[in-house]
Amino acid sequence: MAKVMVSLPDDLLAEVDAEARRGGTTRSAVMREFADTALRRRREGRAAAMRSLLNDASPHGGRAAEQVKATRPGP
Amino acid sequence: MTTLLLDASVLLAAFDPEDDHHEPARALLEDDAATLATLDLARYEVANVAVRAWRTPKSVAPLLTVIEKLADDGGILPSTSTLLTKAAEIAERDTISVYDAAYAAAADEGGHRLVSCDERDLVSKGLATLPASVRPGSAR
Repeated sequence: MAKVMVSLPDDLLAEVDAEARRGGTTRSAVMREFADTALRRRREGRAAAMRSLLNDASPHGGRAAEQVKATRPGP
Repeated sequence: MTTLLLDASVLLAAFDPEDDHHEPARALLEDDAATLATLDLARYEVANVAVRAWRTPKSVAPLLTVIEKLADDGGILPSTSTLLTKAAEIAERDTISVYDAAYAAAADEGGHRLVSCDERDLVSKGLATLPASVRPGSAR
């Protein structure tokens, strides 16, 4: 596991430390959990949005990679 | 965790049930264990295909919305001069277009894994992986 230096405003650090005391854990563990939770929620939000958007998928003949090349500006 | 950089072909295949890569491309976009990103070039490429190949301009908005959703996840990488300079080197080395090489350069710069349906110019040269080769959750 990498060790990093992070700059935090004093009041945010105080909140992180209070959360660590409350949970009986360390400052590092709290920050790891918060980062992991935030990133997971972001991925889950994107995945849910994609499921909704892709309900509108319709047939277009396939060959996406070839179509990308065919519609690029010519030399 | 490795971020997966998707090129325009993956985004388009996910929207086209007739595409050979449709199911794995769609599964990738819907995978909540993977962090996904793309390059700003993808906006132009998906819009170009929707208008000029699919002949369905109304498809442009949902395709661009997909890209905006990636902005909220792994991000939309900008085609900077530095990136395109590297892309030009890759294009020359691998005899591919600077467009294709731009995705490869972006993946390389960011330490990302490029995913593409382009077997001829990207996958066969080891520059990208097919959507079907990315197992759900394997990007973590």
